[in-house]
Amino acid sequence: MSELIAIFLSMAIINNFILARFLGLCPFFGVSKKLGNAISMGSAVTLVMLIASVATWIINNYILIPFGVEYMNIIMYILVIASLVQMIELFIKRTNLTLYNALGIFLPLITTNCAVLGITLINAKESYSLIESIAASLGGGVGFLLVLIIMSGIREKLEIADTPRAMRGLPVAMLVGMLLGLTFFGFGGMI
Amino acid sequence: MGKFWKEFAKGIIISNPLFVLALGFCPALAVSTSVDNAIGMSVGVLFVLLGSNLIVSAIRKAVPNIVRIPVFIVIIATFVTVVNLVFHAYVPSLYESLGIYLPLIVVNCIILGRAEAFASKNPVTSSIADALGVSIGFFLALLIISFLREVLGTGGLSLFGNDLFTLPVLGENPMTLFILPPGAFLIMALLLALFRRMGVMKCE
Amino acid sequence: MKVKTLMGVFPIIFITVVVFVSVGLVTWTDSITTDKIEQQKEQQIQSMLKEMFPSMSEYTFEDDIYTIYSNGAGVGYAFLAVGKGYGGDIDILIGLEDETTIKGITIISQSETPGLGSRIAESSFASTFAGVNIDDVALKKDGGQIDAITGATISSGAVVEAVRTTAMEKVKSLKERK
Repeated sequence: MSELIAIFLSMAIINNFILARFLGLCPFFGVSKKLGNAISMGSAVTLVMLIASVATWIINNYILIPFGVEYMNIIMYILVIASLVQMIELFIKRTNLTLYNALGIFLPLITTNCAVLGITLINAKESYSLIESIAASLGGGVGFLLVLIIMSGIREKLEIADTPRAMRGLPVAMLVGMLLGLTFFGFGGMI
Repeated sequence: MGKFWKEFAKGIIISNPLFVLALGFCPALAVSTSVDNAIGMSVGVLFVLLGSNLIVSAIRKAVPNIVRIPVFIVIIATFVTVVNLVFHAYVPSLYESLGIYLPLIVVNCIILGRAEAFASKNPVTSSIADALGVSIGFFLALLIISFLREVLGTGGLSLFGNDLFTLPVLGENPMTLFILPPGAFLIMALLLALFRRMGVMKCE
Repeated sequence: MKVKTLMGVFPIIFITVVVFVSVGLVTWTDSITTDKIEQQKEQQIQSMLKEMFPSMSEYTFEDDIYTIYSNGAGVGYAFLAVGKGYGGDIDILIGLEDETTIKGITIISQSETPGLGSRIAESSFASTFAGVNIDDVALKKDGGQIDAITGATISSGAVVEAVRTTAMEKVKSLKERK
């Protein structure tokens, strides 16, 4: 159990997907000031990461490895992720139209989100068991969500701040990323 | 032939993927800890971009619209897998260094972006020029970032196992921040601001 | 009617063809690279063993343990270990002089913090294991002989733990062999 918690915390905080691994930067920089949207986006990504992790674990252990075709993993993973996102998009469209409209273009973009493919590759690389993969993807997703929430709050203040013209927008967002990264780095001694 | 060079040059400055289009950060920032990695990653990106732009452009008239995106993804994933295997076999230390970021080229917005925005609408020669230009633009941007990170963060520069130089003061006390992830954000922020100030790119 | 169904079905045919071609290309690449990859791995192990045991002339591999020979005489053993580091797995090659003493260690791969934990890969750290009795493989603060790297206690500890545990395990199975 403590192993699982260690994996979860490592993925969420110490080796945070956005701040330490640079995965999922696009939504991070594009996140809006509205907390609601940040939560929706973060949760959607976490959900996709979780399902994708399980799906790819099954494919890895029941198809790829037994047949000795591990080299097919990249193609299989990305196809699984693309299909998954399509299905989730349809599901949200049918059940919650407001949410669908709020997420807009960001939903299909989850397919190219490095965090999703990233977690599946990490799970494969570390040869995590199914439970460990679930812990890892939850950790990664929660960490991602957390940083997105923090960033959306900071964004609000950034808009009113008197930023030098050249630094406005992306550069200052990067600086925030640096500061957040340093802060999270400090949690290293925890486990 | 003039058109070729025009598309090529566009990729380097005006449509520079990292500094202008702001695409493909994820793998870029992650591997910019050393110039070796930067070179390796750029070669990977070049091969994938070249391959995918070429094929996408060649079949652009035949691809049915509905399956457009999945087809592009499969093509890109194929080239990435090939690069991954080739690196694993012939440059194993680079392969280890790049880790998961090499396969992550498949979701690098640059590749899909160019396939969708350019290669699917332009003839093969222009698409090849675009691929070359964008890859070189990517490489140059990555080179600047990793050069700064490696020199400031380790106090020296080493290329493929050969130590090129070690700076006097920084050599013993390098500014470790730069080689850590936050350092990448810092360098990127400063470079972006610099390029905007210089007028190479537009401000917001 | 026929043309209409064909038009409807064409996208599926198209993508199926694309997938087949792609799979074919990837499989072909794998077949020509797979041997080279195996070769590389073997070469890598061999050069690491040679570096650790300069007098090595050949080696055998059985039950995950390499037995090193120098012109017929056994000069030691070696085996792989995996440490749980800060940033993931740390792959270590451990060399034994005999059943009680460490010959040396080589860090094969690690993803620790650059500049801090990654310094476990430096020879200054690895060399502190040479000639140490397996029982003394522990951090100084735990009563052992190994100095942790400043600012990298977790990474250093992970290596120490892996070396100690794996060495003890392998010595046990070596004794059982006899």
